[in-house]
Amino acid sequence: MDFITNVFPWITNGPLITVQVMSGLSVAMLLFLVSVGMSLIFGVIRIVNLAHGSFYMVGAYLMVTIVEALPDRPWAFWVALLVAPLGVAVLGGIIEMGLLRLIYRRDPLMQLILTFGLILVIGTLVLLAWGPDNKSVSRPDALAGSVAIFGQPFPAYYLLVLGLAPLVAVALWLIFYRTRWGMLIRAATVDREMLGALGVNVAALYTQVFVFGSWLAGLGGALAAPTVAVALGMDGDVLTTAFVVVVIGGLGSFAGTFISALLVGLLQSFGILIFPAISIVLLFALMAVVLVVRPWGLLGRPEE
Amino acid sequence: MGSRRALVVLLLLVVSLAPLALPPFFLQLLTEIAIVGLFATAFNLLMGFGGMVSFGHAAYFALGAYAPALLVRDAGVPMLLALPAAPMVAAAGALVFGFFIVRLTHTYFAMLSLAFAQIVFTVIFKWKSLTGGDDGLLDVWPPAYLKSPIAYYYFTLAMVGLSLLALHAIVDSPFGYMLKAARENPRRARSIGINVRRHQLLAFGISGAFSGLAGGLFAFYNGSVFPDFAYFTKSFEPLVVALLGGVQSFLGPLAGAFAFKVLEWLISRQWPVYWPLFLGATVVAVVVLLPQGFVGLFGRRVWMRYPSRS
Repeated sequence: MDFITNVFPWITNGPLITVQVMSGLSVAMLLFLVSVGMSLIFGVIRIVNLAHGSFYMVGAYLMVTIVEALPDRPWAFWVALLVAPLGVAVLGGIIEMGLLRLIYRRDPLMQLILTFGLILVIGTLVLLAWGPDNKSVSRPDALAGSVAIFGQPFPAYYLLVLGLAPLVAVALWLIFYRTRWGMLIRAATVDREMLGALGVNVAALYTQVFVFGSWLAGLGGALAAPTVAVALGMDGDVLTTAFVVVVIGGLGSFAGTFISALLVGLLQSFGILIFPAISIVLLFALMAVVLVVRPWGLLGRPEE
Repeated sequence: MGSRRALVVLLLLVVSLAPLALPPFFLQLLTEIAIVGLFATAFNLLMGFGGMVSFGHAAYFALGAYAPALLVRDAGVPMLLALPAAPMVAAAGALVFGFFIVRLTHTYFAMLSLAFAQIVFTVIFKWKSLTGGDDGLLDVWPPAYLKSPIAYYYFTLAMVGLSLLALHAIVDSPFGYMLKAARENPRRARSIGINVRRHQLLAFGISGAFSGLAGGLFAFYNGSVFPDFAYFTKSFEPLVVALLGGVQSFLGPLAGAFAFKVLEWLISRQWPVYWPLFLGATVVAVVVLLPQGFVGLFGRRVWMRYPSRS
């Protein structure tokens, strides 16, 4: 026990651990919003959307622009939080109808390569539109400071994240399991040919799912914008992490994505305390182990 | 076959006489083309001939760049002795990672290879005391007798030429045919006694080794190495190059490398900001407008079967 307290002096510090858990959960919730969209798109359309991180980045940049366009108005932040994800959803719709729709019958690897090409295109367009400098979004006045959790300071804004993301998760669950549209989505992940044969307009469903997934990525980006530097590299960073979350949870699995986002968020939060230098390696090592033992993820389905 | 041999002879003549006519800048461009061509050809041993698409080949390129760079800088080993470490270390990495990767297929194969490459990137990025982290390793130059653009050009040409000969011999060997059989129909290949997984792993190791050599050659050409070499965008370079040139033929990636580098030079000279936009748009256009996709490239049967199961 002495050894443990010597190496990890924080282990007896209850308040610190609490705050660390809470910030880990905040990270997890943001990750969930991004990842569940990626997972949903894969589940239905069978495309690993590598441009998903770019959608997240566009969401954050739209947030910057909208908040800046409405100076000195306390409600600007909330309007932006509503509008920015919608903008990303429109972008997603254009991409699905203009490009992806043309290649659904091709080799899945071609689709992966196409979405990779989109990373480069969107990244350059963002650079041209917003310039190379980092941007920031100020937090709304009501959530600008920090609150004390057992005497430890904790950013008040994270409370919004901690509250909002589970609400979205519950709403998603209700949509998937309690509406006709959700039933169609779940049916499409199981057998989309049969769904088409039963008279469902699968092409329209694909567009809707892609738009919805893009909206979720945009929401994640918009909500994360005040907590990070809005910068050009954020597409790749979030893509790799979301990718890990989705793969660990199981591509196309809603509950798996949630559990895996929690795992990854907490692992990141505590990995920084325990192994500061290699916390990200831990992440990919976890993913590699999962892929080797259960290639289809914790709650996903086998490939064939 | 005769016309192809004539083409190779002509190509050899052009590249060996090029220094007589071209200024040093173009020799450097040709050197880069040769290196990227080797990288893409090594990658295509997996994609074109083995039907395995790796999204993490930057890992082996980077291992091959860092290994000799560290030997030269920190251990004072002469470059010509250090360079063989590039394919060896990269092959070792490829065999270790490949052991796990070849157990999976298709999308999952691609994803696990990407995951391992991200691990390599992160380790390089974080292990500051060894690799210099974000700052990279500077002053990794070849010895004086290879330092001029013309000398390094011929050196690269020789190394790349020998490697391409070796790779061609591998593709044409019984091993190469077993690899193709495993690509066309793994189950049938297994039933006639081919150990599919072992052949794929060996191919992965060979591909990693030559990718590593490309990385090593690039390290001494560039004079420095950076963690970017292992980043996932780098992994797509051989994919795009092979795609541009044609995956079905052995020399396709080499032609792709030529097109890729010349376009990069033309466009980034005028509008450096637009190069990724152009590259991305080209990739999108090739994917959308190539009506056959990979079907004609990989062998019809395997890839016809694949989409229908999803």
